[in-house]
Amino acid sequence: MADYCAVLSPQEQRIQKEVIGKEDTHERPRAFKILKSIQNLKPKIDVERARFFTESMKETEGQPLMLRWAKAMKHIAENITVYIDDNQLLAGRAGAQGRYGILYPELDGDFLDLAIKELPGRVESPFVISQEDAQIVFDEIAPYWKGKTFHENLTKGLPKETLKLTYDPADPLKSRFIVNETASFRSSIQWVHDYDKVLRLGFKGMKEDAQRRIETLDPMSPVDNMEKLPFLQAVVITCDAITYWARRHAKLAKELAGKESDPVRKKELLEMADCCERVPENPARTFREAMQAQWLTQIFSRMEQKTGTIISNGRMDQYFYPFFKKDMEEGILTETEALELMECMWVGMAQFIDLYISPTGGAFNEGYAHWEAVTIGGQTSEGRDATNDLSYLFLKSKREFPLHYPDLAARIHTSAPMRFLHEVAETIKEGSGFPKLINDEEVIPLLLAKGAPFEHAYDYAVSGCSECRMPNLDTYTSPCAYINFAAAVEMTIYDGKMLLQGEEQIGLRTGDPVKFGTWDEFWNAYLAQHMNFLRHAFIQQHVINNLRAKHFAWPTGSILHDLCVKECMDIHNPHIPGGIDLGYFEFMGYGTVVDSLAAIKKLVFEEKKLKMSELIEAMQVNFDGREAIRQMLANAPKFGTNNEYADKIAKDLDRVCLEYTRKYSKELGIHLDLRYVPFTSHVPFGKVVSASPCGRKAYTPLSDGSSASQGFDSKGPTAVLLSNYNSKNYDFRERAARLLNIKFTPAVMAGDEGTLKLISFIKTWCDLKLWHIQFNVINRSTLLAAKKDPDKYRSLIVRIAGYSAYFTDLSPDLQDDLITRTEHIAV
Amino acid sequence: MTQTDRTLRGCVFNIQNYSVHDGPGIRTIVFLKGCPLRCEWCCNPESQLLSPELAYNPQKCIGIEECIRCNDVCRQFAIGQSGHKKITINRDICNLCFECVEACPSKAIHVFGNSMSVTEVINIVEADSAFYARSGGGLTISGGEPLMQHEFTLALLIEARRRHIDATVETCGFAEWDILEQVGSHLKFILFDIKSMNDTKHRTFTGVSNELILDNFRKLRDTFPQLHILARIPLIPGLNDSEEEIAEIISFIKGMKNISCELLPYHRIGQSKYEFLGRDYSMAGVKLSDEKAQSLKDYVIAHFAAGN
Repeated sequence: MADYCAVLSPQEQRIQKEVIGKEDTHERPRAFKILKSIQNLKPKIDVERARFFTESMKETEGQPLMLRWAKAMKHIAENITVYIDDNQLLAGRAGAQGRYGILYPELDGDFLDLAIKELPGRVESPFVISQEDAQIVFDEIAPYWKGKTFHENLTKGLPKETLKLTYDPADPLKSRFIVNETASFRSSIQWVHDYDKVLRLGFKGMKEDAQRRIETLDPMSPVDNMEKLPFLQAVVITCDAITYWARRHAKLAKELAGKESDPVRKKELLEMADCCERVPENPARTFREAMQAQWLTQIFSRMEQKTGTIISNGRMDQYFYPFFKKDMEEGILTETEALELMECMWVGMAQFIDLYISPTGGAFNEGYAHWEAVTIGGQTSEGRDATNDLSYLFLKSKREFPLHYPDLAARIHTSAPMRFLHEVAETIKEGSGFPKLINDEEVIPLLLAKGAPFEHAYDYAVSGCSECRMPNLDTYTSPCAYINFAAAVEMTIYDGKMLLQGEEQIGLRTGDPVKFGTWDEFWNAYLAQHMNFLRHAFIQQHVINNLRAKHFAWPTGSILHDLCVKECMDIHNPHIPGGIDLGYFEFMGYGTVVDSLAAIKKLVFEEKKLKMSELIEAMQVNFDGREAIRQMLANAPKFGTNNEYADKIAKDLDRVCLEYTRKYSKELGIHLDLRYVPFTSHVPFGKVVSASPCGRKAYTPLSDGSSASQGFDSKGPTAVLLSNYNSKNYDFRERAARLLNIKFTPAVMAGDEGTLKLISFIKTWCDLKLWHIQFNVINRSTLLAAKKDPDKYRSLIVRIAGYSAYFTDLSPDLQDDLITRTEHIAV
Repeated sequence: MTQTDRTLRGCVFNIQNYSVHDGPGIRTIVFLKGCPLRCEWCCNPESQLLSPELAYNPQKCIGIEECIRCNDVCRQFAIGQSGHKKITINRDICNLCFECVEACPSKAIHVFGNSMSVTEVINIVEADSAFYARSGGGLTISGGEPLMQHEFTLALLIEARRRHIDATVETCGFAEWDILEQVGSHLKFILFDIKSMNDTKHRTFTGVSNELILDNFRKLRDTFPQLHILARIPLIPGLNDSEEEIAEIISFIKGMKNISCELLPYHRIGQSKYEFLGRDYSMAGVKLSDEKAQSLKDYVIAHFAAGN
């Protein structure tokens, strides 16, 4: 048994190579050149999108929202600066060159001016903005939106008791991080477009269809006049807008070609001009046209709305495959050319920054994270294995191009080919944590149970960090509440108060726990706080569901959705006939809550080793001078160790949430399912919760997703999986994603044997019907070194809660959190 | 196998899930106490005695300023004060009542060795059976030397087989032949350590002669031709870290059927456990360079593979 800690993952070796100054000699240097030019640039804010959007919205007040949005997009398409980057093969950016973020004042205009002043200094995600642009925000953009945003109307619309758990009633910009709404800081969309439609029909086809339908409307019908007509007109305007914008790129490419002296680059620019002239207006003919059409649509859609972590890319290995296959057969495309195009797209994604203006949003998405997931593998709509040559090429690209975009997601099913599993495992071993894996054997039966026909369920695409969408069937759009149940534990201890909030009676009065004689009394008091949170989360959701269509429209997204087009309804409508509404609410701090309850049950009520009064007193002083008590708590049963005692509590907690949503989401007419997916928000949520009965120190991060509490997955990765298996209520269809991070040292998967063992681990995860898993292959020493000397480790990518980020982009808090997690070192 | 045999108890000092370096697939290792050897480099010193032992990890100890719970319960007055505001245990007067273990909140004081029944052990092992099914893994009984508790080992093997869990044993080979023969008859695969062909060095470094070990190795090979033997050579500075000494071991096993071989480079990960047990680690400061380990690994691959 060697000193396995000494083994470096290929990614770490690559970084070391860069650190000591050796040039990465890559056979496809193009994307590396682009990457190098942006690598260490601080992100800029580009105000053009916000400016033109606002200009148009000022002119169209009173018109149907879908039509206003389409007109605003046309105004942007006609006026926004278009760019073509050096070395790039794909045209299309939503803002200035380098790393950039854009503004969505319709979301956050009410505090945009304040935020712009603060952003450059923000710890989590700092940005730079020029004085001139800041002035445009202050003078032209922010003033218009005051009093008009979704966020403002939402805070006004929430009942007092609900608002109290959501925002500080004195300052509605300040999230409580207790029953936290997420619909207002990233708009109401978390989605996957049906990109296949763009490639097959082109926007011209969609426009012509809308024009034909306008002809057939009943001129006597009020609905046709006031709902269908504006929708179809918006379709026509939007199709024209994206076409016009694409052609402006064609024109620019031609101009640049005229000035270009290098004949190779000249040819590339002329090809780019041809492509943008043709797509996405017309159906694509080649792989290159398909890539360009997809990319322009993707970027255009980013300008349309700030979506929840960006519109995902869907099943790229499926919809691009016919083009790839044909071009390869005809000999007009090589694998190297295909990889180069992909890498041009990835590096384009990496330059876009998912800018969060609200402090809440920024805290949620540290490291500028976005998740425009690219799905590969899985099954066809007929239920056969869907893997093809392109699936392997995406994996190869991920191995050879060390970038955390795209967020690559591989669908795994029981009859996935061995080659696919093998290449997935090899790619994971490269160390950047990709691909994340999503389990068909869990997702598909759930989609069926929720009412999807087989052909849609088999054809789902990964959306965002771990959700799954059926692009022409899903119709629910709002991100939902993130519920901090660790705060419910704190409220149970302090009779409905929290140390951070002082004397405010923020939760229910459930009594002084020192007077509780039995565990059942404590459990019931906790449940009362827990159910109170659920109650307010669902009230919040009800307000959001009815409000969102008044604030948002989404022409491009709706055009690409079969049901929206059929019904002439924007996707934000509360209910669209034929759709399945799949929404989610979040259990924050699962491990923290389970471990806290297990410690109290065992130590206070069963073994009576600890008095409730001693526990509370120790928590109040954050265990200062009470290390013995903290250690007792830390050594109580823990979730994630396949411990029956803890897992039983975990399962009960899961169940009470499921029972609640089974009853009440029905009356909302939607599915609001239980999810355990924190992004990076377990850090800000931890910042409001004082010391926990599991021994967690005050204001430190909560446990992450359905992973064990940090540092407590002491029984290794099989136990983490089994605790999840044991705590799930498989008899409920109201469950959704559980995000599971497993950190491995390279040693445990070294060599061919290590690959095979990783594959069998993945297959077992598939057998256990767990939704999601991702691997973090890293050494603790690497993380410590990177924290100490960030400049030397700028390109170190780590995986956190469903995505990867540059380690050095993360706040010191989150770095510590990553370092704390137990590594599964095989010794 | 009768019900009674499943209630048989053994002394177990660790059960480790997700072990990927000790036999095929993903395995759970059950570490049994007791070893007839006293290897200088032993990385599991807590395994050597057959009976439970008291261990103390000063890093985990909260310190006497905040906690003296161990002292409160100790009736032998064996707990003293160290220079660093931590405790000392006077092992001469400690009567191993283990009450301080119960009292210690941070588990700084703990026991190496718990009495467990066959059923208890195999229940824990079986929890990971979904992983064995996919990886071809299972149970590895290690130690210590599992043959020191051969009845318990045998009972574990039989119970594992009843539950269709693949099981293997890691042995140093130092046992009566009939015991090894009995255990061998239940195995398809075995991990068998060979440390040195030089008897004098073997005695110096392990405290016993290699004669019985090598003899058992040959007999095992001859008696169970279907049994796959993985010969494991721990690479130890001063004992066998030269090409000649490794070559001797290779020539011993080379040519035998159904055999494979691996070299385990020296490490000092066990060092801290000596401290926990209040013992000295005689090889403190000894290191093996990565280059040397690699060159000997390469040598084994080249020379062993050539004959098998």
